[in-house]
Amino acid sequence: MDGQSPPRRRDGVKTAILASRFDSIARKMQNTLFRTARSGILNTAHDFSCVILTADCRLLAAAESLPSHTLVGPDIMCRTVKAYHPDLKAGDCFLHNSPYEGNSHAADHCLIVPVVDEGGTLRFFVLAKAHQADCGNSRPSTYLGDVVDVYEEGALIFSAAKVQSDYKDNQDIIRMCETRIRVPDQWWGDYLASMGSVRIGERELLELGASFGWDELERYAEAWFDYSEEKMATAIARLPSGRRTLSSAHDPFPGVPEGIPVKVDVEIDAEAGRIRVDLSDNPDCQPCGLNLTQGTSMSAAMVAIYNGLIDHGVPVNAGSFRRIDITVRENCCVGIPRHPFSCSVATTNLADRVSNPIQRAIAEIAPGFGMAETGPIMPPAMGVISGRDPRNDGEPFVNQVHIAVTGGAGTPVTDGFLSIIHVGNAGMCRIDCVEVDELHHPIVIKSRALVPDTEGAGTFRGAPSARAEFGPVDGCVMKVLYTADGTITPALGARGGGPGSKSRAEKREKDGGLTILPACYGATLEEDEWIVSYSSGGGGYGSPLEREPERVLHDLREGWITAGRARDVYGLVTTGSAEDDSLAVDWAATETLRTTARAVR
Amino acid sequence: MRLACDTGGTFTDLVVEDGDEIRLFKASTTPDDPVRGVLNSLALAAEHYGRDLGDFLGEAEMFIHGTTRAINAILTGNTARTAFLTTEGHPDVLVIREGGRIEPFNFTVPYPEPYVPRRLTFEIPERIEANGSIRKPLDEAAVIAIAEKLKLLKVEAVGVCLLWSIVNGEHEKRVGELLAKHLPGVPVTLSHLLNPTLREYRRASATVIDASLKPLMFQYLDSLTRRLREAGFAGRTLMVTSGGGIMDAEAVARMPIHSINSGPAMAPVAGRYYAARDFDGAAAIVADTGGTTYDVSLVRDGRIPWTRETWIGQRFRGHMTGFPSVDVKSIGAGGGSIAWVDEGGLLRVGPRSAGSTPGPVSYGKGGTEPTVTDCSLILGYIDPDFFLGGTMVLDRDAAAEALRTKVADKLGLSVEEAAAAIFALATEKMVGAIDEITVNQGIDPATAVLIGGGGAAGLNAVAVGRRLGCAGVLIPEAGSVLSAAGALMSDIASDYAQMLFTTSRRFAFDEVNAVLASLEARCRAFAEGPGAGALNVTIDFSVEARYAHQIWEIEVPMTSGRIETDADLEALQQAFHDTHQSIFEISDPGSDMEFVTWRAKVSCQLREGGTGQLPMPKSVSHELGRRQIYFSETGWTDAEVIRFESMPSGVPVAGPAIIESSFTTVVVDPGTNAVRSEGGGLRVTF
Repeated sequence: MDGQSPPRRRDGVKTAILASRFDSIARKMQNTLFRTARSGILNTAHDFSCVILTADCRLLAAAESLPSHTLVGPDIMCRTVKAYHPDLKAGDCFLHNSPYEGNSHAADHCLIVPVVDEGGTLRFFVLAKAHQADCGNSRPSTYLGDVVDVYEEGALIFSAAKVQSDYKDNQDIIRMCETRIRVPDQWWGDYLASMGSVRIGERELLELGASFGWDELERYAEAWFDYSEEKMATAIARLPSGRRTLSSAHDPFPGVPEGIPVKVDVEIDAEAGRIRVDLSDNPDCQPCGLNLTQGTSMSAAMVAIYNGLIDHGVPVNAGSFRRIDITVRENCCVGIPRHPFSCSVATTNLADRVSNPIQRAIAEIAPGFGMAETGPIMPPAMGVISGRDPRNDGEPFVNQVHIAVTGGAGTPVTDGFLSIIHVGNAGMCRIDCVEVDELHHPIVIKSRALVPDTEGAGTFRGAPSARAEFGPVDGCVMKVLYTADGTITPALGARGGGPGSKSRAEKREKDGGLTILPACYGATLEEDEWIVSYSSGGGGYGSPLEREPERVLHDLREGWITAGRARDVYGLVTTGSAEDDSLAVDWAATETLRTTARAVR
Repeated sequence: MRLACDTGGTFTDLVVEDGDEIRLFKASTTPDDPVRGVLNSLALAAEHYGRDLGDFLGEAEMFIHGTTRAINAILTGNTARTAFLTTEGHPDVLVIREGGRIEPFNFTVPYPEPYVPRRLTFEIPERIEANGSIRKPLDEAAVIAIAEKLKLLKVEAVGVCLLWSIVNGEHEKRVGELLAKHLPGVPVTLSHLLNPTLREYRRASATVIDASLKPLMFQYLDSLTRRLREAGFAGRTLMVTSGGGIMDAEAVARMPIHSINSGPAMAPVAGRYYAARDFDGAAAIVADTGGTTYDVSLVRDGRIPWTRETWIGQRFRGHMTGFPSVDVKSIGAGGGSIAWVDEGGLLRVGPRSAGSTPGPVSYGKGGTEPTVTDCSLILGYIDPDFFLGGTMVLDRDAAAEALRTKVADKLGLSVEEAAAAIFALATEKMVGAIDEITVNQGIDPATAVLIGGGGAAGLNAVAVGRRLGCAGVLIPEAGSVLSAAGALMSDIASDYAQMLFTTSRRFAFDEVNAVLASLEARCRAFAEGPGAGALNVTIDFSVEARYAHQIWEIEVPMTSGRIETDADLEALQQAFHDTHQSIFEISDPGSDMEFVTWRAKVSCQLREGGTGQLPMPKSVSHELGRRQIYFSETGWTDAEVIRFESMPSGVPVAGPAIIESSFTTVVVDPGTNAVRSEGGGLRVTF
């Protein structure tokens, strides 16, 4: 388990073929869920994950999905199932969403199926995790940041509850959900989709076992873990050794008036091929919904590590995990939560404040690796809108929008990915179409555009901020609830890169004037009132004075930056004019300007 | 006589249909001047018939052409300098797109550049709302000022996509008129005319792509038709479209986006015909194997699958066309895929490809990395002296040596074991790709037949079909030129769409019927114009609909062109439930429904019953001999080698065997049986 066992003989052909088979099965699970899910959060936003684990609960294969869902958590949850149900049978399925036992926030419902062979032996686990449109919270949102505990949050919590025996539903649990969850039909549709997904995974694994033999699959799993571990060790060995302690802070929110400072201690041991992260020196659980779970705090750390390696050839599974040590402690807001503290927002805000300084620490230790910080979320343009729709007999509407959110961090090899959304999301979710939002809801999106000069400057720059202005159609009163981090602490740059711009919320009053709004707020907009949302920009990587002049020129010509910033921050001097599209680099003048600027710094 | 010619990356395929007989020809593609490759293939055919090219062409009524010209221009950035005009406040439609990303930990791939740069993007002061009302009137003076700027910037084409032009096209139309006046001679595409579909990014994307292709495709098609005429052709020149139909070349020159996916789109058209002819209309998985890609599509109930999410390049990394197109999924696996062993000792195939230059090691054109094609030579599947009918001699020893040093030695395997393993892994990838789309579309492979197209298809089609558990595998007699054969079976077709949002609860009968009537009138006009003289005209109506509060619409076929009564509406709702059930395996009979975009497709049928048959050659012997071939299960084994063209129908051949034609080789695995159907295709069952 700890990588000390002697290397096994690996069959490079069979391993390759079985790796492809396991990947296909995970993908098939994912496709089944995606195509059959009912709620927009699944079939539009893709907020779900499908994974396969070994019988001893090690992550073996995962379909491409939100990293923050999958890395750590499924293992703890399967161990929880085994602990409560030592005698697992074919036909069993468990519903689990307890944030205190490995899950992320309570809105993520997991279905866990033990894959049991004909002889009754447990061989694998398959797990599907899907974000529900509603989970029975006290208020109609799955992210309640301003609640003191799980009682005020109000979610139904299931701890390895047996929801199927002999492939038949336990109607008691179904009725509990139908009674408490606000959109029971939608929940039921999503439940069926998730069930279809895990049952397809189970069926395919049983077929695979029958055709290859279970011993062969076990040998494969060990060979695949060893291979993955070797790839991880090789990747880590490319970095220099070193240690950094960095910090970040979540903005003040209701319940945490001082905000939440986060400290990460990161150590790379290149010789041993290991990376260690200690999160234990952090505040206790807080009386708000921002606390992380063991799954999300550890996954947040791991996301940063895999981001920082800049080698996507390393398979992400329990084999490569052997090279990572993450220390968390009990009753810590970025560790293991203590009941009854709330973890309602455990997947986004504070999790980003764990990932970001870690990937920056890797950058500071290892030139050419790590990343700058990704922009924090969620500004109003990612908020939940609600009200009554005058176009539709005053029917109530409520939905989360993704109108304008950016945030990608500069990396050692590329500029920040514009639509990354936030670090734990990795850009896997979608951005709304203006026309779809305007058709669905009584909303007018007046404008949506990138804001020049908001990128974290760098050799590789961060993504700029996006500004959106939207409000209700005539005759409608609309509420916009949002939880925007990053209004005070921006996404920092790494290795001399600059910070991204901060997030911001404003209201445009009827007279056209602008009022600044709080970071975590519910704004009410009447006809001719608008909310203005600025997403956070991503941090830059490396000094902007080292950015290739052609890249600076590109950003200038394309209006990502203005002429002043090109000159003052990036040291670019140009010839020609934007008017006739003849801008070009003045190489000699640029070099002179940069030399002077470097000396001043 | 009709001619179908498909210009691919490596070969220009020609099918000559003369009465009930077809003949196949292949010439090399000439990328510097693709029309030359077309004329070369025609010269080959004329020579075969012992005719002078002019006489030969003089007899042809129709020349149907598929080409990768447009797609190549996009991929290599050789399109026109194009500007994008958008609604004020929304300059970043092409930059922000719709989000989405693949490979969460791969940060080496940068965010895609917009198809039109921001500096050539201009905001038009105007705004229309979702219900079509004008929130802000069009500022005409501003449009004229922009036209002047475009002149200064030497813009060669313009795409205009304004918000909600699909419900009220007045602003776009007026911008078009102003540009025609103030920027004369520069081609313009208006989004509501080209692709009236909801979602501004994909509509804008289709619009600017279309505009950017106009100068180039006009020139190409002009040159093609002129040179064909000079060579003696007096018939009609048609182009294959991404929608699996054919259109007059002049019409495609006006809407060149139709031609960007023209090659792959024809494979399912051909597959549909062959599945019906040789496998009783079973659901067909049509797999077209090229040198670098493996294109898969599904045909069920005789319907060609459609998608509105077509990407140029990789999903989320390329550009979405948003244009209705035949649904073909492409994975990077083909004869040119390179086999290698990674640092962890794992065998890998692809994603790098040797392409056609330098090509596989055995081609002797400078390739040094062993490819799947090299492996098929090593395993004895391909005869080094009979490749492409003997026109190209392959170097087996060089292939074996490359495979030994680059793969076999590293894995501790013999050369043939390594080659078989590479085949197994490539097969696995293809199976994975097929599995994914069959799951997505709710098809059980066990009830489907796998149709292998492309010259290299037969090498592992049987292995792929067996792994999938298919009902059988079919290699059509024209499988090596599947797209060109499909072109001969296509209808002259066009489709029209209009958005009108309504719900099942408050269904706008009158407005819907007015929309349907106008769509039908456009179809009729097409049938009387380009479709004149067709054997048969059909108009298919459909609607894009969804359950209330869903985001993604699905396309639902309608039984008639009007919704007059409550019973009609009920039937439409039932059709929606059924379609939803068949795609997603669930339906929700209690739910309200939303209807978004109404469509009509007109098809004018040119020919009865698919296409003709390959004639049986008189002088070719049936069995060519025996050859040692290798399978993992059996090791080296002595196999019959049979000439495809000379196989009589109904006489089974038991594997292991090799069935060869000038253009393709079919490996019949041990334990499987091949038989030639009445129609001429090769059916393999297991």
